[in-house]
Amino acid sequence: MLFYEVKKIFSRVVNKVVLVLLAIVLLFASVMAIRENENYWVNETGESEYGIHAVRKLAKAQHEWAGTLTEQCIAEVIQENARIRNTPEAQSEDIQQQNIAYSWRQGIEGIRDVINSSFCAFQEYDYYKADTLTAADAADFYSNRTAHLEEWLSNEENTDRYSDAEKQFLLEQYQKMEIPLKYDFVRNWDSFFQWSVTIQMFLAMLLGFLVSGIFSGEAQTKADAVFYAAQYGRSKGVRAKVLAGFCIVTVLYWVVFLLYTLFVLGCTGFIGADCMIQIMHWKSFYNITIGQEYLLLAVGGYIGCLFLSALTMLVSAKTNSTVLAVLVPFVAIFIPNFIYNQSTSLLADKIVGLLPDQLLQLNSVLCRFSLYSIGGTVVGSISILFVLYTVLTLVLQPVLYTVFRKKEVR
Amino acid sequence: MELKLAQLTKTFGDMTAVDAVSYTMRNGVYGLLGVNGAGKTTLMRMICTLMKPTDGVITWNGRDIWSLDGEYRRVLGYLPQEFGFYPDFSAEEYLLYIASIKGLRPAVAKQRVNELLHTVGMEQVRKKKMKKFSGGMKRRIGIAQAMLNDPQILILDEPTAGLDPNERIRFRNLISELSEQRLVLLSTHIVSDVEYIANDILLMKEGRIACSGAPQQLIADMPIHVWRCTVTKQEEAAYTRQYKIANMKLTVGGTELRILSEQQPCAQAVQEAATLEDVFLYHFGETGGENNAVL
Repeated sequence: MLFYEVKKIFSRVVNKVVLVLLAIVLLFASVMAIRENENYWVNETGESEYGIHAVRKLAKAQHEWAGTLTEQCIAEVIQENARIRNTPEAQSEDIQQQNIAYSWRQGIEGIRDVINSSFCAFQEYDYYKADTLTAADAADFYSNRTAHLEEWLSNEENTDRYSDAEKQFLLEQYQKMEIPLKYDFVRNWDSFFQWSVTIQMFLAMLLGFLVSGIFSGEAQTKADAVFYAAQYGRSKGVRAKVLAGFCIVTVLYWVVFLLYTLFVLGCTGFIGADCMIQIMHWKSFYNITIGQEYLLLAVGGYIGCLFLSALTMLVSAKTNSTVLAVLVPFVAIFIPNFIYNQSTSLLADKIVGLLPDQLLQLNSVLCRFSLYSIGGTVVGSISILFVLYTVLTLVLQPVLYTVFRKKEVR
Repeated sequence: MELKLAQLTKTFGDMTAVDAVSYTMRNGVYGLLGVNGAGKTTLMRMICTLMKPTDGVITWNGRDIWSLDGEYRRVLGYLPQEFGFYPDFSAEEYLLYIASIKGLRPAVAKQRVNELLHTVGMEQVRKKKMKKFSGGMKRRIGIAQAMLNDPQILILDEPTAGLDPNERIRFRNLISELSEQRLVLLSTHIVSDVEYIANDILLMKEGRIACSGAPQQLIADMPIHVWRCTVTKQEEAAYTRQYKIANMKLTVGGTELRILSEQQPCAQAVQEAATLEDVFLYHFGETGGENNAVL
């Protein structure tokens, strides 16, 4: 039964086109992640190189600075940055000469970015901040983080936005971050995470499209009468449909996501997975490693796709309309983004922060201060999103089964 | 083996599609005759558990079919009026799929599909996609799917609709072959579809069973007679208004009419043997327009 349910879906020409589209999105996102703007190498003559070999050269240069970001290490980087900045090439008005100077700095560029984040105010980023520092400033590298958070939380705009318990939670989370941080080349992961959002959103929409006809297709082709009159038409037959949706989403999601991982990280490298995410997202209050962020994104995206597909199938089963069902993932992804950009209300932000599209953009959620108080306990939105949508997805399965098995054919 | 309908009623808002129908069926072919909108399809859909009755019950061997659930549908075969299928499936794939939801094991299903494709004469096109089939070919696959589980109850809703006369005769013969040792309920508004193969005829009108019985019994029970006479062109209109006319034929001497009437309509009218068509006309004559043409 399951075999034929899956066959029904993929025998439709439009669904074959969706598979091709999925392959195109996968290739496009992979190429874009590898060729991300910042993934270039400037050689000793000041010329820029792009592509896989450029990323590998950059990775090699930055990997030489891998280790713990101690005060001494930060001081060394500030000094090295100052040394390069004072060379005739860096001081030159000639762009080519400046590029040559930049080529010497590429190894420390990753740490320089973290230094910029640490020394800039909470909602600012100044690329040249590191140029204004001296080795003595290195002592403030970690303390800045908490100090800037406290300063930001005491701003007038945040006094009502966060309760005392929430402020306390954020400070505790900041203090829990183990220092010194481990550092390695992480631009590979940064590019990977940025484009994974595209992959996951397309997956949610295209998988929704694939499963949208599983139930409504029966009524549309008028095949439902024979289906329901069969022995298992109101039991195993319906279960096979629910299972077909689950299998298609599961198999395609993981195949596409793992292929994307393989393409991008296979080319740009897997190093840096054991570094804390603060190397990339300095202000994040989630104390996890980049490898853990990868798992979080992968599983979160999967739960998001499963939930949206289950919702799509429910609309399909309830309304017998594939068109309405297909709209579900589109609405679920685009409307919250629109509201989020327009909203000034705290309550609206809180609600939007828990909508399923958030599971498809966890890389951004990790950088946000979305907090919720449940029974006096403060938690970040990610924990709620995982529990909420896992439960809802599980609840939707029997609902879907019951709705479809009880349908009448008129 | 007994399928019993007891006070079966189905309403849609204010409209009563099936109105307190009670009837018991056993082995044999039952022809459900009625004009479009008489409630035949609704009645059959309730028998196939596609619709729940508003009132009344259907029992199979004494047990409610809704509580029997899959156990009842295991012995049921159904060909709907609008036979839907999966256009991108081949005939073989479609039948194997239906076999799987009918609970046939794969090996048994394969064998059964082969047998039925042979029975309905579709072996040569088993790999062809169903969207490329003609109406008659689709109907034959329809009957094959209904027979997959060798059902004890076979429900055929307007199985000959849209078929040309040749296909219809073939189909009738096929149903006749398949009707052995089972209960077949066949709905139609075409009298000739059931006239020769049905053991019992149920005439359905406005949601009710107007009358039922063996074809000869129904003919014998008809309270009026059938007359044949030839009238002039001028008289024709008056006869048409006054009587139910089963047939009109232009002849050299005028128009030959086949009239249903208690009394002899004119002096030269000759009484003829009634047929099932005449019974149909007697019951449905007023609504028997072009859409409900009697063949």
